[in-house]
Amino acid sequence: MKKFTKYSRVVFAVLALLAGNGGSTLQAADETDPVGMAIDLLHRADADFRQLGLDAIAHATPGEAATYRYAAELSKLPAGQQRELLAAFRDRGDAAAAAAVTALLLASADSDVRADAIRTLGVLGNATEVELLKAALAKPDPEQAAARRALVTLQGRHVGKQLADAARFGEPSLRPKLIDILADRRERSILPDLPAFLLEKDAAVRLAAARFLGMFGGPEQVAGMVAGLLQTPAGRERDELARAVVAVCTSNRGHAAAAKSFLEQFKQTGAAEQEILLPTLGRIGGPEALGIIDDLVADPSRRAFGLKALTVWPTAEVTGRLFALLESATDAAERQQLLDGLIRIAPRPDKTINDSKRLELVKQTMALCQRDEDRQRLLDRTDAIRTIDAFRFVVGYLDDPDLQEAACQSVVELAHHRQLRDAHKEEFMKALDRVIAVTKNEELIERANRYKAGKTWERKKA
Amino acid sequence: MAEQPSALDTAFAALAKFDWGNDAKVLQPIDAAVVACHGNAGQRTDLENRFTQLLSQPISRAAVEYICRKLCLIGTAACVPTLAPLLGQPEHSHMARYALERIAAPAAGDALRKALGTVPDELKIGMIASLAARRDGQSVPAIAEVLAAASKAGQTRLAVAAADALGQIQTAAAVDALTAATPTDAAVAAAVVNARLAAAEGLLAAKQPAKARAIYQSLVSAAAGQPRAKSIELAATRGLLACAEQTAAS
Repeated sequence: MKKFTKYSRVVFAVLALLAGNGGSTLQAADETDPVGMAIDLLHRADADFRQLGLDAIAHATPGEAATYRYAAELSKLPAGQQRELLAAFRDRGDAAAAAAVTALLLASADSDVRADAIRTLGVLGNATEVELLKAALAKPDPEQAAARRALVTLQGRHVGKQLADAARFGEPSLRPKLIDILADRRERSILPDLPAFLLEKDAAVRLAAARFLGMFGGPEQVAGMVAGLLQTPAGRERDELARAVVAVCTSNRGHAAAAKSFLEQFKQTGAAEQEILLPTLGRIGGPEALGIIDDLVADPSRRAFGLKALTVWPTAEVTGRLFALLESATDAAERQQLLDGLIRIAPRPDKTINDSKRLELVKQTMALCQRDEDRQRLLDRTDAIRTIDAFRFVVGYLDDPDLQEAACQSVVELAHHRQLRDAHKEEFMKALDRVIAVTKNEELIERANRYKAGKTWERKKA
Repeated sequence: MAEQPSALDTAFAALAKFDWGNDAKVLQPIDAAVVACHGNAGQRTDLENRFTQLLSQPISRAAVEYICRKLCLIGTAACVPTLAPLLGQPEHSHMARYALERIAAPAAGDALRKALGTVPDELKIGMIASLAARRDGQSVPAIAEVLAAASKAGQTRLAVAAADALGQIQTAAAVDALTAATPTDAAVAAAVVNARLAAAEGLLAAKQPAKARAIYQSLVSAAAGQPRAKSIELAATRGLLACAEQTAAS
């Protein structure tokens, strides 16, 4: 109410002035001083009135002089209103408020206020704020999360270089976070250093470097990545790095040259190292790699590694080899490995073959399956072929008590695609009725009913 | 060139007998002539005369509507005496206003103003709306009188229309009339406040912040401390800020 009285005084004074009753210079200035009015509103107890002032700060009354006046209010407000003003400064985008925001960050005892101050510096700041924000990275959340985001958005000519230097030589515990921040900033200047990071002792640094390389690495980094892959112990970290190598060699800028470089590295390594690299080679694919793998499969002492690489091949071009090997294989484990490879490769989306060929491969694979669990896995994956023929194929298993659950899953998944469903409405309605009758999966029943009613279904987030 | 008047004559003959359900293609020469008369005073006068002559004859409501739609494009003071009597006829009042509202000649405003005092109550809202659309300052006393009388008589819709009109007209007299209004009906009171805010916004848009500020300040003063009037105080305070911004920027 104190604030309200103060505001009312201004209004009445202006009224008196307009009525010709005179008024002081200050009162005369008030009615032409939008900044003063906004500040007045900022201190009101009522949030709606404060919002009027905040809107004016964020979107009107431009100029550094006004910003300095607003910034001077930061220290006078309670914590909640400090956060409101910080949000307005972010929308206003005037760097003139940065010094006051920094002062608040250093002085405030409230972690939410400090986090908002950090966010605001991420918008208003420049290279000058890097050290301060880096220090905040070491704090607990919410400051750490705010600092991470702020360092991603911070603008300025030397910000990237400062962050890259800190990622190279800075505080060890912060280096992984800084590498991730550089990745979010798409700061590629650090790329040449990253392969060396893969050989460091700190697993967090290695993992962060692998993530960065997977996003932005190119042919120049492949040799270093291979060295890292060979040094990394088997497990999650090696898998992560292998995924990064595959991304560099199959989808990143210059992936063809990167794949060639990987193959050269592969040839230069010894047999033990090649075994480590083989699954990655298989995922990268390519005719020359296939030749190497064929040689390995033909070599009884290294056949298992060759088969492993073959069964993770990215395209269907190896299915002929897999069928032939499966036909001649006598070892049960080897037969299962080959069949697993076919179940994985046959239905998967592949630009090198059309949908009907994929379905043909699925049918051929199904004929070779001896166990229901293999048939179930294959049926479950067949929904990747979004054609009416694939639908009819899986519908054929709806009445098989051992396979109907997997068939139901695929039928419902295919029915999710409205264009396919609407083009063959009658068949889908009949199949969905059958799904509802036989499945024990409540979610499938709900989905089937929704599709029957022409509704869509939102996939639950994992 | 010789064929054009003939086609136009034929079209006007068709218009005299025109009614809803007829093929409107027969009127296309008139549409074309209305477009073609732009910048040609002689042709425009000729067309206007043809329309007013037809309006003096017993023609269908569809034909009257068609003529009013054309007169709103090409009409001058000359057609006002023909249109004015239609204002009091419920079936033609709306289309006569449609034309008169858009005819720039002061005589059109005079006709609407005069009609406000003579037409039945149910047609007054239309007159008020048309005068507001013309932002006719001369009509303020009459509209203010309607606002006062309708408020007193419990004619809420008419009073609300009068308040809205004063808010649109935005002259000093209109603003004064709104300030002086003391409606007891809540809907009318709300309309008066809305009209004052609209007037202030209009003045602000016309770069007259001092006049706008006076309205906003008066509203803030009246609403201050009344929880139920908070929305008014908020709107007026926003207006005061905008006035200050405009004054500071000028």
